[in-house]
Amino acid sequence: MLKRASLTRRQLLIGVASLQSAGPFFHVTPARADKGEIVVAGWGGSRTTAMREVMFKPFEAATGIRVKDDGPPEAAKVKVQADSGNITWDILDTDIPAILTMAKNGLLQKIDYAKLDAGRLAPIPKVLQHEFGLGHLIYGFNIVYNTKTFAPGKHPQSWADVWNGEAFKGGRSFPFRGGISPQLEVALAADGVAIDKMYPLDVERAWKAMDRVRPLVTKWYANHGEALQLVSKGEVDICCTIGPRGIVAKREGAPVEVEYAGGKLAPDNWAIVKGGKNIDAVYQFLNFVIDGKVQAELAKRIPYGPSSQDAFRYLNEAEAKELNTAPHNLAKQFWNDIAWWGAIGPDGKTNSERETERYAKWMVQKS
Amino acid sequence: MAILQRHRGKPRAWRARPSLLLVGAMTFAAAVYVIPMLTLMSWAFRDPKTGFTLAQAIKLVHEPAYITAFVTTFRTAAITTLMCALLGYPLAYLMATAGNRARLVLAAAVMIPFWTSVLARSLAWVILLGKRGLVNEWLLASGLISVPLPLLFNSIGVQIGMTHVLLPFMVLPIWSVLMRLDPALPRAARSLGATPARTFLEVSLPLSLPGLLAGCTLVFILAVGFYITPALLGGDRDITIAGLIEMVVRDLLDWPFGAMLSLILLAIVGAVFALGARLVGAERLTGAEQRP
Repeated sequence: MLKRASLTRRQLLIGVASLQSAGPFFHVTPARADKGEIVVAGWGGSRTTAMREVMFKPFEAATGIRVKDDGPPEAAKVKVQADSGNITWDILDTDIPAILTMAKNGLLQKIDYAKLDAGRLAPIPKVLQHEFGLGHLIYGFNIVYNTKTFAPGKHPQSWADVWNGEAFKGGRSFPFRGGISPQLEVALAADGVAIDKMYPLDVERAWKAMDRVRPLVTKWYANHGEALQLVSKGEVDICCTIGPRGIVAKREGAPVEVEYAGGKLAPDNWAIVKGGKNIDAVYQFLNFVIDGKVQAELAKRIPYGPSSQDAFRYLNEAEAKELNTAPHNLAKQFWNDIAWWGAIGPDGKTNSERETERYAKWMVQKS
Repeated sequence: MAILQRHRGKPRAWRARPSLLLVGAMTFAAAVYVIPMLTLMSWAFRDPKTGFTLAQAIKLVHEPAYITAFVTTFRTAAITTLMCALLGYPLAYLMATAGNRARLVLAAAVMIPFWTSVLARSLAWVILLGKRGLVNEWLLASGLISVPLPLLFNSIGVQIGMTHVLLPFMVLPIWSVLMRLDPALPRAARSLGATPARTFLEVSLPLSLPGLLAGCTLVFILAVGFYITPALLGGDRDITIAGLIEMVVRDLLDWPFGAMLSLILLAIVGAVFALGARLVGAERLTGAEQRP
């Protein structure tokens, strides 16, 4: 996700503040012998606060292993740690494009699924059990629209509608930069490709569809916070951005709504940094946090879908309604195909790298 | 000092010390600047097998997108410099000629934004220039326009934002030159019968040109590396080379190519600085100038 491009001053302050508020936990004198610590690099803010509450604290209480948080988990930062031989992070919480880049650069440890609890893994879709990343929080690219411009029911209900500037007047906003792959799938969906027949992507067809939406785009946003601001304030009317973030904005009172139809689901994952010193503790941590019940607790606090379908046993209908992995929403969407984006072509680049680079060139050249 | 030296009878020891004091600063500069720069260069030109390679430079030549971004960057920087000069000179002139109280107000008007974060100032323009922003609301209410003007997410927004952010770098050097101008010179011109306009054009303006050139050099150099403001206020025609370098380094992890792009940008900035230094003297550009 673009999150990494967008560490605003405010997020930084929130991150620092959450570190400080987490301070007391580091200073508690353990009753037992020191079981060591692990460092989880994540995105900070309310997300880390929630994770500390429902994951880190109970894990510390159960195992005696301290959990420190740090971040943001950028590929470049991991590379610096590896290059300098001073690896301070154990676990990352990040998205697939970053994981593919890091794995290709030899910065990540393969996940040994045999060391994880089979009963807890079973309710997690196979597509989320990647060799370098285990999906845990699900985001996705969805249609987020301003409800003052479009009354719900008369809003764009498919990507074809988003591409239709005649029937749905108003400015669009799409992501660009910050390592995000271009949204080629939604371009293909708009062009009539069925969401279950998406992969392998017809790249040329997708770029032609991108050419068509380009005149409708008011702003190519650089981070999702910016995207939500634009659509909330009515600077744009339809935004292709992270659906769960739209839900957060809506709950804070912004005039926005999320259409899940045709959405592209993608996981934020747990990934293991190669060369970490405390590998046993890492697997203990992973076993703890993939539990459906733990995931359900997190989903009550932040509206990202839990990866374990088991989590929905612990959520009531109201709590599950707006989660993107709730069965009724899951049915309308498709999974981002990690294998396709990560496949290395004859040029030595992954599809993700090649298309991200092409995105920048397309943007600079075609204008 | 000379008296002191003779008095103590140890002139050499006194003279040696200033260079000793420099050791700390030089070590610091070497550690945080020279060594990283050399590393950057080695990334751009080193090949793990053959030792030396021009592959990154060749790659750049074959990527018109990056060239386009360089052109955009320089076009934007040039327009910003021109706008800053047109707005900054009168402001500096006013500051230099106004009374003490007015000068204080003007100086505060220049300096307070100068101390505010670039991010905050750029975001403020998003609020002001938006479709439903203050400027468009006023214009719509006054009946001057019937549909909102596209002031944001295009080159207009970028130029407004960058000119605002960089204006102090133009005003301050011009002001400092104007303040040191001998007031007797324009007075002499007037007493010899020159009109105020002619006095300005033939006396004050030529004498203050070094300040203007210093300001232009500073603004241009800073504008070339600008990143946040074009990203926030610009559209798809305003993608600067700094933005692409960020993508190459951070997302594609192609550090050799990123190093090459950075070095080219650095070389161009160096060339502009050298030109400015040639015209007005390096002291004025670095602020190391002695007071007369």
